[in-house]
Amino acid sequence: MLEFLIPNVVVCHAVEAMLFASVACAILGVIITQIQISSIGFTMAHAAFAGAAIGMFLSVNSTLTAILASVCVAFLIGPLSDRARISPDTALGLLFGISMALAIFFIAYMQTLGRGFSAMGLLFGDVISLYREEIYLLAIICVAAIVMVVLLYKEITSIIFHRRIAESLGIRVQPVYYTMLFVIALTVSLALPIIGGLLLYVWLVTPAAIALQFCNRLSSMFIVAPIVAAIVSVSGAFAGLEYALPVAPLTAVAFSLVFIVSVLVSPRRRIAKQKG
Amino acid sequence: MQAEDPVIRLDNVYTAYEGADRPTLADITMSVHRGEFVIIGGPNGAGKTTLLETVNGMLTITHGTARVCGHDVRTNAVRVRRRVGYMLQNFSFDPLTPFTVDEVVLMGCYGTVGLFRRPKEEDVAAARKAIRLLGIEDIADRPIGQLSGGQQQKALLAQNLARNPEVLLLDEPFSNLDMFARESINALLADLTAAGVTILIVSHAFDDLPDHTVRVMVMHDGKITLDRRCAPDQVEATVRGAGGAQPHA
Repeated sequence: MLEFLIPNVVVCHAVEAMLFASVACAILGVIITQIQISSIGFTMAHAAFAGAAIGMFLSVNSTLTAILASVCVAFLIGPLSDRARISPDTALGLLFGISMALAIFFIAYMQTLGRGFSAMGLLFGDVISLYREEIYLLAIICVAAIVMVVLLYKEITSIIFHRRIAESLGIRVQPVYYTMLFVIALTVSLALPIIGGLLLYVWLVTPAAIALQFCNRLSSMFIVAPIVAAIVSVSGAFAGLEYALPVAPLTAVAFSLVFIVSVLVSPRRRIAKQKG
Repeated sequence: MQAEDPVIRLDNVYTAYEGADRPTLADITMSVHRGEFVIIGGPNGAGKTTLLETVNGMLTITHGTARVCGHDVRTNAVRVRRRVGYMLQNFSFDPLTPFTVDEVVLMGCYGTVGLFRRPKEEDVAAARKAIRLLGIEDIADRPIGQLSGGQQQKALLAQNLARNPEVLLLDEPFSNLDMFARESINALLADLTAAGVTILIVSHAFDDLPDHTVRVMVMHDGKITLDRRCAPDQVEATVRGAGGAQPHA
């Protein structure tokens, strides 16, 4: 798609993948951090990780198994906490533990079988060996995330404001909420091969946290977070490929540095200081 | 719906919370007509909030029938909620909540705007009018999380008024308000009932009531134990007499 700008196909694919994944994750990250369901996003990311590991072990499409596992977790949290009479937080903890146990078991087992190299890509991401179809899928999910926010903006903002108040206003909270979880599940599953299961959470939370340092309105957060994510991710891809450094970990470190700087220069911090 | 029909009609309604071993509301039968002002009293845990959330369909009715604004609450709860305003008793907002008061008030119209549609000019005008009615124009552009409890309560009342509700359910709406704000909101509520809005209010503050006969319901243990009309100055004595008064909120 961006070959007219970046002639080197490998670099071009890596930049495209990072761009689409980071924009989708940043948009959904605003929702995740504002509804305060970070633990759900975290558990879904690790479920996708476990699903991909199982798919790889069984030699079936690992993206498909990652999507399945992630969606299952999203829809299991409610029923599990109701049936087992435990809090949703405990249910998330259990599902996270199960996901990690399964992922580590299958990755370790694949290493004993001599198939460890491909499995390691799931942990730390791999931007080099992407197929064109995978990049198209990332572009589609990126557009889907944007379209979802545009079409359901008032419903999403009401739920972010206060879920019970949104319900009392006549908003159909449950379908909108599960639509958001479904799109998050698809996004984390498709972003997993390039970002890696251990680092995915950085893409989901850090851009939104950076945007929060500068924005007072939700609408501006939805614009600032993906722009920041795109700049940092594309720069990370270029720098990583140029200097032969691991792209996803390098970009994750860059996100963390940008976050620290944004906290230091945040207008909110200055206002708080003046008030103090 | 005929003009004579009650706006709220509950017949032998039972409501239970998920996992509870007994119903929170038991055998509730009541009718409320257009423009009535109903005060609901009773001790903590009597089922007052549960009654409000049963009327607007936020809680599941396990037995009985309920019709509100011409809709069956069991099958059409979302439609009911679009015509019934409800102000929650317990709410808290993070100081960093990225919503200003005018955005919060406009949200009151979101349920009626429809899926995939943007609020129209008349929705924005209705939100502005509600802000004016509550006298909160000066805080309209401020983040709601940085306001006092009383200002937040006014903003949420404005949010409910923005969609011109037929019924207004208010759960302890005066708990954070000073005496001046309480007076002005009571005057506003009296104007609304005169205009035909039905108001059900859970409160322990019985001063500054509207200047006309009101209906008092007292609840105990999930049941309505008293339902009577009385003058505003007799409300407190009536609720106390039925054993439902509590210290002033």
